[in-house]
Amino acid sequence: MFRFHLSVERLAPLFVPKETALVVVRQFVVEAKQDAAKAVEAEHMLLTLATNEAGDACRLLNESGLTYKQLLAALHEERRRTLAFAGVEPLDETEATELDRPLTLGTSAKVALKRAMVASREQPPRRPHIRSTGLLVGILQAELGTVPRTLAIAGVDRGALIARAANEMSKATC
Amino acid sequence: MPAPLGAPADGLAAASALRALADRLEDAEVERAMREGWTWSQVAEALGVTRQAVHKKHLRRLLAARIDLRRRDV
Repeated sequence: MFRFHLSVERLAPLFVPKETALVVVRQFVVEAKQDAAKAVEAEHMLLTLATNEAGDACRLLNESGLTYKQLLAALHEERRRTLAFAGVEPLDETEATELDRPLTLGTSAKVALKRAMVASREQPPRRPHIRSTGLLVGILQAELGTVPRTLAIAGVDRGALIARAANEMSKATC
Repeated sequence: MPAPLGAPADGLAAASALRALADRLEDAEVERAMREGWTWSQVAEALGVTRQAVHKKHLRRLLAARIDLRRRDV
């Protein structure tokens, strides 16, 4: 398990293709900051996958009815419903000044990365690096929390999407 | 495995979301109070914590927000 503050330089070597790894990892931070989050969580990784049109994960998400915009809308609906449980509405207009400091890696993101690495080694060609489909599997394997709640709200079959992503992983040649 | 939606998953998710929301609210309102000239002690008293705790938690962000904190040592 990772015990460091998020640093793009340290996370990027985990990912392939290497040409886009740094862009992908930096996008994690962009998504977290746009969410006013203090840590990168699994949902920010999922949003990143949905922005990366060159990746197989983006195509799989789109085919499941989750474009970036739809995913963002589903995440907002999840937050609205969650807070509504406590009788509270989201605070959209209350923003403090953002500190220019590295974000930490949240627990859901750490778990997703760990699961992605395990899945990458289990699926042929058993590479130690994480492709977009491997990260998608790692994120989707969470059965509780923001991502599965969002997928349930969006009406996405999480199990079917995992199976499709795992199938794509086994086809990967890199 | 329990379902991700419905009780008690909704309540647990709400507890987590409320913590994040409270943090955002505190950051924004401390910044607003300091812009309006409140002292560290006044903010601390309003939050029910020590002045040192407020200082430690919010100083960097207030400096980044370019709020003039001189003569704000009480």
